Amino acid sequence: MSMASVDIVAAGRIRRVRRRARVVLALLALLVTGFALTLMLGQSFTPPGDVIRVLMGHDVPGATFTVGQLRLPRAVLAVLAGLSFGLGGAAFQIMLRNPLASPDIIGISSGASAAAVFAIVVLRLDGAAVSIFAVAAGLGVALTIYGLSWRNGVAGARLILVGIGVSAMLDSFISYVLVRAPAWDLQEAMRWLTGSVNGARLGQSLPILISLLIFGGLLMSRSRDLQALRLGDDSAAALGTHVTRTRVMVIIAAVGLIAVATAVTGPIAFVAFLSAPIAARIFGSEGSLLIPAALVGAVLVLAGDYVGQFLLPSRYPVGVVTGALGAPYLIFLIVRAHRSGA
Amino acid sequence: MTKHSLSAHQLSAGYADTIILEGLDFQVPPGQITVIVGANACGKSTLLRTMSRLLPPRHGQVLLDGKSIHRTAPRQLAQVLGLLPQSPIAPEGITVADLVSRGRHPHHGMISRWGRKDDEAVAQALEATNIVELAERPVDELSGGQRQRVWIAMALAQQTQVLLLDEPTTFLDISHQVEVLDLLIDLNQQRGTTIVMVLHDLNLAARYADHLVAMAGGRIFASGPPADVLTEANVRHVFGLESRVIADPTSGRPIMLPLGRHRMAKTG
Repeated sequence: MSMASVDIVAAGRIRRVRRRARVVLALLALLVTGFALTLMLGQSFTPPGDVIRVLMGHDVPGATFTVGQLRLPRAVLAVLAGLSFGLGGAAFQIMLRNPLASPDIIGISSGASAAAVFAIVVLRLDGAAVSIFAVAAGLGVALTIYGLSWRNGVAGARLILVGIGVSAMLDSFISYVLVRAPAWDLQEAMRWLTGSVNGARLGQSLPILISLLIFGGLLMSRSRDLQALRLGDDSAAALGTHVTRTRVMVIIAAVGLIAVATAVTGPIAFVAFLSAPIAARIFGSEGSLLIPAALVGAVLVLAGDYVGQFLLPSRYPVGVVTGALGAPYLIFLIVRAHRSGA
Repeated sequence: MTKHSLSAHQLSAGYADTIILEGLDFQVPPGQITVIVGANACGKSTLLRTMSRLLPPRHGQVLLDGKSIHRTAPRQLAQVLGLLPQSPIAPEGITVADLVSRGRHPHHGMISRWGRKDDEAVAQALEATNIVELAERPVDELSGGQRQRVWIAMALAQQTQVLLLDEPTTFLDISHQVEVLDLLIDLNQQRGTTIVMVLHDLNLAARYADHLVAMAGGRIFASGPPADVLTEANVRHVFGLESRVIADPTSGRPIMLPLGRHRMAKTG
């Protein structure tokens, strides 16, 4: 072995690590800027000084209500939900090696949403009970589609088709519950069908924060093995990865992330589906996509909500905006998959 | 250098409700090149998959240095036993150096950091497979032969003393097949790596094996030096094919010439 080739390898690796760090930092900067802007800009402009004083707990006439009660809870919820959707979506897509295998396509988000709406509208539950309901339903859906598509192992394409069917069933269940609900309200209906951060309260973000710490932490601890799974199950096993155990842990973590966030915001359309592919575009395929995808998810929800609130002729919930963004990409993927016969 | 012993005892394995291997015994000669041949569906790949922990056995066991591999921690096993599966997947856009460095996976835990030793292992693997100049190229852009060398480089970067390969020459043209096999011989001679591979081409198998294994119906039908295993009678039994076996004028190894039904008479 010559020194020259070691140097080539080391230089290439350092270049990849630096590039990765630069992209993550840029995304983080974008997110922080977006967050700050949404606190300052709304129907009226609040100067940065006032925003900071409100955040520090001072009473600023006018600003304390708009920033402290309206904009801050909304922005925090948008960021935390976006991080959860981005992470959960990326985990599924990486694990099943297919961008269509996202939880919002294969019915896991719909399952969590259906459970949440059932718990709230019919059982009259709230808070943590709704989250637990949603997580249980999410895991139930994951288990169901896994079981239904099992035939000597799980093939990605079969799982996706089964998932799309399950997803459609759950969506009609959501509509049924909403139509039968005594206090039927359009805003609420939109939340459980396409996702919304309307009427956010700071307390709602707490379960999502806890879920990010627990499930996000679990997922990050499996990040290396998830990377190995990208080379195929056989290669991953040959490299010393415990394939089944990794799968189970990743599914639990990703379903937890998606379901807890969905129990609050509803299934914000296509954020889980779009985040990792966008992150991969910017980031390349080097290293783990989890953190970049989480940041992209947060930026998407934050920006999507801002556009829906202020930049369109009438106010739309964030899911309508992200849905409009995701649908063309979904069509593109299906057309491409069909052409290559996959 | 310690030579690891790998063996299968009374091994039965299969998928769902089909048993493919039945009560198979197999001793891998340490430090040698073993090539497994046999007709389609005779259990070659199943044997390799069971011996590398990808498939749990129904009965019997696979022992590495006297310890069952299905009771060894996966990461620990992957430091000694490597496997190149039949169809590994290259993530979209990944570069050669990045893919090869995935071979270091079993040498790292959750917290251990990448070090000089890892860079050296990757560089060594790139040099052994002659792809240093491709290091920064995306794998998607490479030819089939180059790509196969990248996968072998990944297995080399794993630095295992035992390496199993499932048809490493499929989809390659003849010059690349010979190149890959020569590379594996280099590896065996320079590092003493024990190699076990499945090959389709009987003549290449006889040419490159120290120890040739012919499988039929989920069992080992014949095994030993190529000259003893590649015989007209064995080809008839294993492949159901009439043939002539002659000695290769260059290497002295046996060559099998299929007879078939047509074009047998010499024509001007």
